[in-house]
Amino acid sequence: MATVNYNAPSATPTAAAAAPAKNVDTQSVLKRLQSELMALMMSGETGISAFPEEDNIFCWKGTITGSKDTVFEGTEYKLSLAFPNSYPFKPPKVKFETTCFHPNVDVYGNICLDILQDKWSSAYDVRTILLSIQSLLGEPNISSPLNTQAAQMWSNQEEYRKMVEKLYKPPAATA
Amino acid sequence: MEESSSPSVCDFELLDTLGGDSIKEILDSYNGFCSTSDALLNPTSVNLSVGREFVSHAGVLCKHGLHSLVRDLFLKSLEETFERRGALRFWQHFDAYKDDSLEKKSKNIAPIDDSEVQQVLCKALDEISAVKRYQENCLLMLVDALETDDERQYLRSKYQLVVSSVLMASLPRHFPEILHSYFKGKLEELSAIMKGESEGDDDSENDDMELDEEGKSSHKNGAMDVDECFSQGKFTENNKLVKNIGEVVRHLRSLGFTSLTEDAYASAIFLLLKDKVNDLAGDDYRGSVLESIKHWIQAVPLQFLTALLEYLGDSISQSSPSASKVSPLASQSSPLYPASNAPSEGLIRWQLRLEYFAYETLQDLRIAKLFEIIVDYPDSSPAIEDLKQCLEYTGQHSKLVESFISALRYRLLTAGASTNDILHQYVSTIKALRTIDPTGVFLEAVGEPIRDYLRGRKDTIKCIVTMLTDGSGGNAAASGITGDSLLEELNRDDEGQDNIGANDDFNTDDKQAWINAANWEPDPAEADPLKGSRNHSKVDILGMIVSIIGSKDQLVNEYRVMLAEKLLSKSDYDIASEIRTLELLKVGCLCRTLIHFGEISMQKCEIMLNDLIDSKRTNHNIKTTIQPSQIGNEEREMGATIDILDATIISSNFWPPIQDEDLTLPAPVDQLLTDYAKRFHEIKTPRKLLWKKNLGTVKLELEFEDREIQFTVTPIHAAIIMQFQDQISWTSNKLAAALGVPVDVLNRRINFWISKKCDIMQGIVSESLGTEPNDHVFTLAEGNTDAGKNAGNGGSCEEMLPGDEEGESSVASAEDQLRKEMTVYEKYIMGMLTNFGSMALERIHNTLKMFCVADAPYDKSLQQLQSFLSGLVAEEKVELRDGMYFLKK
Repeated sequence: MATVNYNAPSATPTAAAAAPAKNVDTQSVLKRLQSELMALMMSGETGISAFPEEDNIFCWKGTITGSKDTVFEGTEYKLSLAFPNSYPFKPPKVKFETTCFHPNVDVYGNICLDILQDKWSSAYDVRTILLSIQSLLGEPNISSPLNTQAAQMWSNQEEYRKMVEKLYKPPAATA
Repeated sequence: MEESSSPSVCDFELLDTLGGDSIKEILDSYNGFCSTSDALLNPTSVNLSVGREFVSHAGVLCKHGLHSLVRDLFLKSLEETFERRGALRFWQHFDAYKDDSLEKKSKNIAPIDDSEVQQVLCKALDEISAVKRYQENCLLMLVDALETDDERQYLRSKYQLVVSSVLMASLPRHFPEILHSYFKGKLEELSAIMKGESEGDDDSENDDMELDEEGKSSHKNGAMDVDECFSQGKFTENNKLVKNIGEVVRHLRSLGFTSLTEDAYASAIFLLLKDKVNDLAGDDYRGSVLESIKHWIQAVPLQFLTALLEYLGDSISQSSPSASKVSPLASQSSPLYPASNAPSEGLIRWQLRLEYFAYETLQDLRIAKLFEIIVDYPDSSPAIEDLKQCLEYTGQHSKLVESFISALRYRLLTAGASTNDILHQYVSTIKALRTIDPTGVFLEAVGEPIRDYLRGRKDTIKCIVTMLTDGSGGNAAASGITGDSLLEELNRDDEGQDNIGANDDFNTDDKQAWINAANWEPDPAEADPLKGSRNHSKVDILGMIVSIIGSKDQLVNEYRVMLAEKLLSKSDYDIASEIRTLELLKVGCLCRTLIHFGEISMQKCEIMLNDLIDSKRTNHNIKTTIQPSQIGNEEREMGATIDILDATIISSNFWPPIQDEDLTLPAPVDQLLTDYAKRFHEIKTPRKLLWKKNLGTVKLELEFEDREIQFTVTPIHAAIIMQFQDQISWTSNKLAAALGVPVDVLNRRINFWISKKCDIMQGIVSESLGTEPNDHVFTLAEGNTDAGKNAGNGGSCEEMLPGDEEGESSVASAEDQLRKEMTVYEKYIMGMLTNFGSMALERIHNTLKMFCVADAPYDKSLQQLQSFLSGLVAEEKVELRDGMYFLKK
């Protein structure tokens, strides 16, 4: 997958060849991600959170909780965010790590969200991405579903809630 | 029987030759010999014929070759008689003291009556000596009878052995004690005589001087003068006493109590010496006692010994052979130089022994009290000097270190001691021990526990910085004693800088290098090799202080905060003393290899000072140029011109974070500030002035009906009171809104005016409950002033400074900064735990190191992180299970 390349850019020959040119970029990306992390940490936002994995600032783990008064209330979902070297000019790849029964999320966790594809702007940051995904949970785009079953069920909120609860697996405390 | 058996063993042939006559002759002689020797040894029936008979019988027996029999037989009866007549009676004399001594021990009351003991001892010795002398005479008779000269020595020593073994075998346990008390009594007597003498001589005025000179000269020339001073005849009065003692000692020696005697008088002397040292040294550390102790050693015990040894030396030649067996320490000497002035070897040994003992005693005494000595260090330096000399002799430095460390732990390094006190004691310790041991090896050992302890204290840095800087603030500060001396220390280093600088310099010329190399000395044996050689020529107090903190950055940071506070509180631009301190800190440290604050870390401080200098100039510049353009209405209304405004313009990047509080100033003042800022911008484009309105001081004058009072207050206080100018009564909510500060801040600050009593028992502002809960009404108390009461004080001006009662400071303290940093870390930790579930300490540490790099780079140790995390656990934000940290849900 493409994300692998982004995780370890120097592992692929193409990336290594382009290394001198990209080095400066990598530095500025690093800076940008660091300051985003700082901003996110200091924002005190509840319900969304993300943090880089152990030794790679291009690869983050994210956490969002279902908003109140939605069928996802009381649930918590893990995400993975993989930032490309060309961030913030290209969007990060964002995926659900925990199963999420949602019209715009497929069984592999891929998300269909416009700002993560064609509507991406460098003005977005980790915080806004996470907030968008959080609001997407409560307000799905039924017109272009990835999960048709969920899209059909959406109209029946009570049944949908039961489905969410049935499929929901609280994330284990994994490292 | 013996007579037949002994020859038969020795000589069978001889036995064969014996005829009946001979046997009869032998038997007769033997019987005669036995009876005469009995008679001879029992003095009741002494007469000459017995002696003659005895000699003839012995002669007959000898003729028959029974030498050895005669000899043994006689010695045996001598022994028996001596045991019966001499020893038994001798000991009987002392029976009286047996119980006494026991009682004395148990009751711990005054020892045996000395004079009585002396008498009894003398009497007993006389008696036993008489017995012994008589027996010796008998022995001589036998020797005559035997007619062999070579037997003489043998018999004599044999007899001596018999005597001493008899006495030793029956020695009662308390006898050494009696001897001891005898010598003690005699020595005290002697000591008293000496004292009386010197006191008596006081009339002649120069006695003290004389003594001093003697002492000095004898000190200088070693023991050479000892005998001279004693031969001056000044002490002849004591000769009788000493002779008496000598007599006793000789008697005792001849009885075989040589070592016992020596022990007794040695211990008596040492005891006396110890008492003397204790007496002289006492608890007073302001004087040196070593010299006077030496004098005393010369004057009393040595004189006693000289006289004694001389006396014994004379006596050796004339009598008792036992004297030649005397212990080497005591008397090898005298026969060699019977009358010469050269001191005997024995005496020198005694002197060295006594001095060593004195040194050791004094050293122990001082070491035990070292803590107290160091507490009053500058005054107690003579005691330190004494201790140093003592230690040079005894070399027991490790004793000092051990004892002092335990004293420190027990007395200083406790929760009750204030950090300042500990630091002061530390400085005194450094100074005192530097005297004792210039290499600083022991100081290293002693300082370690103090440093460790201080590192655990929060306010250590602050105290150190205060100590460093306060000295320059003038001597008015009462606590500035050590501060002064610390700064002095800096100054001193400043002066010595050239030399030290040269040492560190690579370009040191060869000559200097050679001198340095030649001056090298090995570390003392006690040096800890792990610590590395301390070849710095001197102990550096500042360095040792700073080493407590560990990093100079922390110190500089704290200093910066303190400096900022000082500078901001200044209303004039006089910063001479701060510049001096800064220069000292910089210079004092530049030349040192160990720590150097260095130019770079001090740069910010320098900029701060420069800011102030610049401010003065800019301020002047603005004020002179603003005048023509700004003569406006406000001036006339308020009496407020730009003249009343002095600004301190700081480059905030280089200053420690400054506490920022919003405050709406009264419009006219605000206008003034704006004008000022505008003018600044004009002069210094593109720079702009941003006011820190909550900082600074305001001098204001309150006019009442009858008088004026002056205050110097903070801006917020001034702003508060100014609001009352137009409106006499305010509710707290409205007033807070007008001032642009939170209500609680207002309530806190307005207390200043409420509590200010302007001579009458009423505050300037009074407080009453408002209509709404939590809303107070403040009223200006002006109307109530009773003019008549204060006629005398009318028009007086008072300077009132709002105290630091709130403990407020304009600059965020280093501690606050740390806390701020820690909150950032807390957010990060929360963030990572949210996303990763559980993490081990190590991983949190690494992650922080990796990603927390922005404003406050993570630079804490694993231990610091752990204690921070346990703080979070205590706050129930985080949980710890099986070594993993979890978010508390």
